[in-house]
This record gives sequence, C-alpha cells and structure tokens, in this order.
Amino acid sequence: MSDRLKTVFCGIEFKNPIITASGTFGYGLEYAKHIDISRLGGISVKGISLQETAGNPMPRIMETTSGMLNAIGLQNVGVDKFINEKLPELRKHDTKIIVNFWGKTIDEYVAVARILDDADVDMLEMNISCPNIKEGGIAFGTDPKMTYEVTYNVKKAIKNKPLMVKLSPNVTNIKVYAKACEQAGADAISAINTLLGMSVNIHTRKPNIYNVTGGLSGPAIKPVAIRMVHETFRTVNIPIMGIGGIIDWRDVVEFGLVGASAVQVGTANFIDPEIPLRIIDDLDKYMAENNISNFSELIGKVDLTR
Amino acid sequence: MKGKVVKNQQLNDKYFFLEIKSEEFVTQANVGQFLMIKPGSQDYTHDPLLRRPLGIADVKDGKFSLVYMVVGKGTKLLSEFHEGGMIEFSAPLGNRFTLLENKRVALVAGGIGIAPVFWLAKTLKTRGCVVDLYYGGRTVDDVVLLEELKENTDHLIVTTDDGSAGIKGYVTLPFKENVETYDMVYTCGPKPMLQTVSEICINADVPVEVSLDERMACGLGACLGCIIYVKDGDEIVQKRCCVEGPVFDGSKIAWDKLI
Repeated sequence: MSDRLKTVFCGIEFKNPIITASGTFGYGLEYAKHIDISRLGGISVKGISLQETAGNPMPRIMETTSGMLNAIGLQNVGVDKFINEKLPELRKHDTKIIVNFWGKTIDEYVAVARILDDADVDMLEMNISCPNIKEGGIAFGTDPKMTYEVTYNVKKAIKNKPLMVKLSPNVTNIKVYAKACEQAGADAISAINTLLGMSVNIHTRKPNIYNVTGGLSGPAIKPVAIRMVHETFRTVNIPIMGIGGIIDWRDVVEFGLVGASAVQVGTANFIDPEIPLRIIDDLDKYMAENNISNFSELIGKVDLTR
Repeated sequence: MKGKVVKNQQLNDKYFFLEIKSEEFVTQANVGQFLMIKPGSQDYTHDPLLRRPLGIADVKDGKFSLVYMVVGKGTKLLSEFHEGGMIEFSAPLGNRFTLLENKRVALVAGGIGIAPVFWLAKTLKTRGCVVDLYYGGRTVDDVVLLEELKENTDHLIVTTDDGSAGIKGYVTLPFKENVETYDMVYTCGPKPMLQTVSEICINADVPVEVSLDERMACGLGACLGCIIYVKDGDEIVQKRCCVEGPVFDGSKIAWDKLI
C-alpha cells in the first residue's frame, strides 16, 4: 500500500483514513477472525463505560429502507475488563485504537477518560450522542451548554491522548455544538452519530424495537451526514472524522470534499466485513488514477461556485 | 464467499429450496451452522441492506442447500435468483449441534425450522442413530420435503394445526408421548414450540438442544442485536445467538425473557 493513504489526524499517523465506527465493530477481535484488521487505518471500539452495561431488552434492531434502526443501549464490558481482557489482544494487530466512551454524569465521563488516558490506546472518542439511553450520551449532545461542560471537564482531566467528540445529528443546528466542542478544547470532532427514528409492525401494531425509538444508520443517512460535516468544517478549525452511511470509496471521497480528514465506516461492516478493506484498495486506486498524492488534498475541496 | 446457484426451486406457495455450489463453503460447514446471504445480486443498490441469516439445510457433493420462506423484500429477491447466477454469502457461522452415535434421538421441527433439522437428520442417520422426526406446520403448505425426510428418518410424524396434512394438532403432543424413549432431543422452530419441547424434555430428564433464530445485522458477534437470555446458576446472562449459538441447551434458556 502506498503512502498516499497515510493520514495524520490529531498528530497521530493512521496508515489510511478508513476507521471502523464504534458500535459496528465490537472490540475488533470479533472481526479479526474474518479479515486482517491490521490493514485498517484504525478501529473505534464499542462505547465503553465505567461499569459493565447490559444494554436494552430485545428486539434491538430492525432493517429499514437502505438503513437500519438499532437500540442496543450501549451494552459493553466496562472499562476495566476492556483494558485487561480486550485491549492486549487487540494491540497484537498493527492498527490505531480509538476508544469510544460514555458516562451518565460528567463525573463518570471524567473517570472513564482518566483511566483510558493512561491505557495503551491512541485516541479517545467521547460519545455524547447515543440516542438510545436516557441518562447518558444524548443529554449532553443536545444541549450546547452541556456539550461544553462535559468536553471542558474531560479535556482538563486528560494529559496524554487526543480527545475527539462525537456529535449528534438530532439537533437543529450542529454548528453550535461543533463550536462548543472547539471552545471547550476538543482536539477533533466525529460526525455524525445515528438519527433518531422509529418503525412499527402494522400487523401487531407494536414498535419494531423494544425501546420504541432507535438510531438510524446506513446509506439512508449519508446526505444528512454530508451536510452536517460540511457545516461543521465551515465552523471549526479542528479536524473532522466523517461518519454516516459510507459503503464504498465514492462515499469517502464525498466526505473528504466536504471537510472530513478521515472517515469511519459503520453499518457497512455488518453487511460484509470485507467492505472497509475494499474501500481502502479502491480509494488507493482512485487516488493513483487521479494523481492525488495524499487524501488531505481532497479535504474541503467541494466547489460551491455557481 | 461466492457460489453458483444450482437450483432455486419453489416447493409451494411459501417455501423455496436453494442449492448453491461452493467447495470453499462446504469444507468449512458444520451441522447446525447458518450463513448470512446477500438477497440481491446488484451492487448498485443498498436496499435491502443487510444479508439474511439462514440455517444450512444440507451439504453434499460440493453443494449446500437452504430452505427459506418468502416473507419480505429480501427473501422475495432471493427467490428471483436463476440457475447459474452468482450469489454472495458469508462463511458458515455459529456453533453446531452435538452429534451422537448409535443412540435414539428425536428431532422436533416447526415450519421453517425444518432447515437445519434436515441436515441433522441425515447426519445422525449415517452415525447409526435411530432418528424420529416430529414435524409440525400450520397447514399442508408448511410441511415440505416429506419424501426426502422419510428417506432419512426412521419415523416421520407430521402434524398440522388444521389437519390438512398428517395428524391434526400441535407437534408437541405426539412427541410428548414418546419423549422418555429418547437419549437426546433436537429442535428448531417457533419459540413457543421450542419452549414447550424444552419443558417436556426437562420434565422427562432428556437432554435437549434448540436452534434459535433472531434478527441479526452482522452474524459475527458485533452488532449485539441477537441477544439470547441464558440461565447461569441463579443469574441470567446474555449470549449472542450468532456466535454463542444458534444452538443452545434448551434447559438453560430463560424463555420468559425471550418471548
């Protein structure tokens, strides 16, 4: 693989700009059985909390038109088990590790971040945008003051690792939230998380998901994500990791053009674990054919002239 | 993985029998496993988005078979594959049934639950087991491949809810009468049936393996969409149907949390 895919993001060198998104790639190890995960630029692991979390009752997922709804409820093994049992195995693979984390209170966010800051991981991704649990995540991601507060306090508590904040699309104006993150000291932004959605079984007249509502992901949400990355890029100076419905190399280029320095592939991993690797190969080919010497040349190059 | 469609035969108004050639898949497959299959052949559309989980119904001569019911957009597309077309699917996934030798076993299948049971019956037969299959459906249209099943079992007991084929009534009734004569029971079908079969087995002190079916996005243990609740001492723990299953010890499942 050539150097043209090499991507520096928050001072960290990723071998390519393709990272697998939190919640769609487990702890990486589930996929290591099926693909060579060391070929990935990085892995953002399933959202980690201070304590082990069981998640929501079933049913948790439902396919929708070109997308899917999920309300997993942030099921995870907890930060200690992650560091002691999952991380050493994951570290055997040569790829960057981003740890997505969340809390129910600012104190919990700070506590998890402190532990991860001293762990053998490359970067922290703070989830303030999970639509599926009441007390955590979304409460911080849909109030700009709370976004600022939690980002400021976490940033102050960590010394070693860059802090990326994952934004919610379930807001009227994402620019306000992006600005709040930047002002509070965030090193980067990832956008977007899932869009709040709902679907009903017309025969039973019951919601298809126990939680009633769930987070919509997949190709169906890509135009929303593109618009929000575009707006974020024109609002802040910190780098952006674009997320939302990426399924092939064209989607990655599109995210680059509106301002993403790197991207995360999410729901596509469910369809076929080979997809992120195929994207890496196809993106490299596209760049070679178009004399693009590095992915960074594409960032924000959307032509808005009329 | 990719394979060539050898046969995609409509069995009746609801059911299809799909046979695919793939040496690579066949050499890895174990009885009780499933696969995730891409329902369409197009790369330019993402609807339907996810692959569909289907139990492996048979493996022979470098080919494997699936039995499926057309229930929605995905399975409708699957039914439109022609002979000779290429189809994409995952490697064989999940755990497997415990295969006994020279024992008396009962298989209890309901509706589309016949899929993994078909291969299981054949396999247990070749291992010298006496294989009784109790096969229930709502109507005559829900019990398929009867000739093939008769060949691969010692007794085939068919039941339908409306009496349009075999004995009228639930499949669990004739099974219950004979449960104590078996060394092991295997079952796949709708959850209420699986629960009843498991309870009958627990009362008769006969081991029972159930094959469960849940909505799945990945089939690889990552999406956490297919949780099964299992009793572990006094605790109830969460297992993933796709990797820790689809075959579970029927006496350990917390049915009340599942249905």
